[in-house]
Amino acid sequence: MTSSIAFKSFTGLRHSSAEPPKLHSQLHNISPPNYCQRRLQINAGISSPKLQNRNLRVAVIGGGPAGGAAAETLAKGGIETYLIERKLDNCKPCGGAIPLCMVGEFDLPLDIIDRKVTKMKMISPSNIAVDIGQTLKPHEYIGMVRREVLDSYLRERAASNGANVINGLFLKMDIPKGGRGSETAPYVLHYTEYNGKVGGAGQKKTLEVDAVIGADGANSRVAKSIGAGDYDYAIAFQERIKIPDDKMVYYENLAEMYVGDDVSPDFYGWVFPKCDHVAVGTGTVTHKGDIKKFQLATRNRAKDKILGGKIIRVEAHPIPEHPRPRRLSDRVALVGDAAGYVTKCSGEGIYFAAKSGRMCAEAIVEGSGNGKRMVDESDLRKYLEKWDKTYWPTYKVLDVLQKVFYRSNPAREAFVEMCADEYVQKMTFDSYLYKKVVPGNPLDDLKLAFNTIGSLVRANALRKEMNKLSV
Amino acid sequence: MSISMSFFSPPPPTHLLISFSSKPHFTDKTIFFLRPANPLLLSAPKVSTDNGAGISAAIEEPKAEQKVAEPAGSAPEGEESSLGSNGAVADAGVKLESKFVDPRWIGGTWDLTQFQKDGSTDWDAVIDAEVRRRKWLEGNPESSSNDDPVVFDTSIIPWWAWIKRFHLPEAERLNGRAAMIGFFMAYVVDSLTGVGLVDQMNNFFCKTLLFIAVAGVLLIRKNEDIETLKKLLDETTFYDKQWQATWQDETRSSSTAE
Repeated sequence: MTSSIAFKSFTGLRHSSAEPPKLHSQLHNISPPNYCQRRLQINAGISSPKLQNRNLRVAVIGGGPAGGAAAETLAKGGIETYLIERKLDNCKPCGGAIPLCMVGEFDLPLDIIDRKVTKMKMISPSNIAVDIGQTLKPHEYIGMVRREVLDSYLRERAASNGANVINGLFLKMDIPKGGRGSETAPYVLHYTEYNGKVGGAGQKKTLEVDAVIGADGANSRVAKSIGAGDYDYAIAFQERIKIPDDKMVYYENLAEMYVGDDVSPDFYGWVFPKCDHVAVGTGTVTHKGDIKKFQLATRNRAKDKILGGKIIRVEAHPIPEHPRPRRLSDRVALVGDAAGYVTKCSGEGIYFAAKSGRMCAEAIVEGSGNGKRMVDESDLRKYLEKWDKTYWPTYKVLDVLQKVFYRSNPAREAFVEMCADEYVQKMTFDSYLYKKVVPGNPLDDLKLAFNTIGSLVRANALRKEMNKLSV
Repeated sequence: MSISMSFFSPPPPTHLLISFSSKPHFTDKTIFFLRPANPLLLSAPKVSTDNGAGISAAIEEPKAEQKVAEPAGSAPEGEESSLGSNGAVADAGVKLESKFVDPRWIGGTWDLTQFQKDGSTDWDAVIDAEVRRRKWLEGNPESSSNDDPVVFDTSIIPWWAWIKRFHLPEAERLNGRAAMIGFFMAYVVDSLTGVGLVDQMNNFFCKTLLFIAVAGVLLIRKNEDIETLKKLLDETTFYDKQWQATWQDETRSSSTAE
């Protein structure tokens, strides 16, 4: 019975905004139905006491895009913010692609962007290469950034807005036990502070806060301490290769995507241009043990174009495939990779990390009335609601695309064939750059569906013939 | 089957010799029939290892090449990975490379003028050629180069060629199955209930059975399809369940708060 209620409330969120208040009044016995329009104030007023003599204290664990964005919004909202990051100069392994809307939404200065990618090449298992990007307008691009540059910019902006940036490693968290008074009892964070004076090992310290945002990435310790559960993850393996200048010209503003069973059974291999070198990598969920083999195959496919290059760095990192079973527990919320907000199909995570950090911080600021009142779980739940409602279509569409087009080599051939279509390119870029699932023209959609089925049928038919050959 | 046939090949000649003596005027014909049969029987095992007839001849050579390429390729590869991260990427000289070559594959696409048969393009041959190329590439992935891009698009092959080659045989098979099931079930229902074919069509339950039978013929074409369909259903809803997991938490906690 509980699951059916959860179902109803969740699907209710995806309908028009008229419905949610009604459903919420069923779940929140605290707020009476006729006050549901102004439920925010009533909830905060009834269930959260006003804080005396101090502002709300919130700790953000992890100083990547999610942590930086969250800390900035919290600090701007008048909340006493602590941002705990273990390595301030961390050069995180990452694809490094950010969509156009991130530059606008987060007011990023243009010098953070190393390269503006305006063309992409998709290469099928049988090396059919398709160029996409002709439909991009002159001001549209995919930004390639260096994570260390982006992360430190966001952290510094948070600090200049009033957040306290602590260089430390989060160890564990004491969760206040249930019962009377636990709504206001603080969370005690244990961390090791690194500062120049004490030296390498660092100093053990504790910090008392009222709420915690876990933005500490795929192997989140905050997630572990609240028992958030596990998720499936992909391994992304990447080699940074410095190639000769004449070859680098080709990658001036072009990124490549290789698909095929040789490159990855369920993901894709890529060549992304960085500031002065290229990153060649691949990833997989199901065959993690063969990742080196896939990397060699990716390098082989791009061989002519990276010939003469030198590998300057090898790195690998996990990519979550879906959200954790629990993204919230009492006054602790997870954002970014820690929550598992990476899209399928493209594996994009930076924008969603920053956006979720900001959304969670906004929910805390609102729920606490700019830091004057204590927050509780329902205030943080609003961030989850808003997130799921805004981005669920994007995630679902990408999931369907991955299921349909990354299944097998014929499906990948069909995928690359479809990408040659201008309508597909326009739709893809529009939804990628602006993070909105655009409905598009129904007649064109129908033609697209027809063409997709046609491509899939042709590719699968060829595959059946191929199987007959090998018998 | 070929093995059992080869077992049978010794007896017929002795049988032939016996019949030889008894009926001279028939034996001429029987010798004529059996002798070509024997070489065929003896060569049958050989044909099966050759993987079929004409088409395989072309890929026999590349396959042998592929086997040679692989062991030669794996040794230098092992060396390369031990060189580690400081090694250069250029190792083309060491590995044995064999690119896909075909006289009709020109400029990254199939040259349709070479596929002419009786004045019009032989699309079946184009399909065969593309199948061979993909099969080759699956075994020997090639580097995609900018000087030599592949620009072939399967949609240049007209829709009726696809239908004739792939859809029609399958449609024939499925229609055959549907006809057999239909006739058999109509007979069984008639014999059990006495309701004739026309009256069966007017009955709602029979119409439902018909719908299920047609759906079954269309969806379940191999034994594996039953498992595949079940998994497909799970797959479509799995991602949704993962996203909603955090909401199940909420109702549990709010119901305990009551």
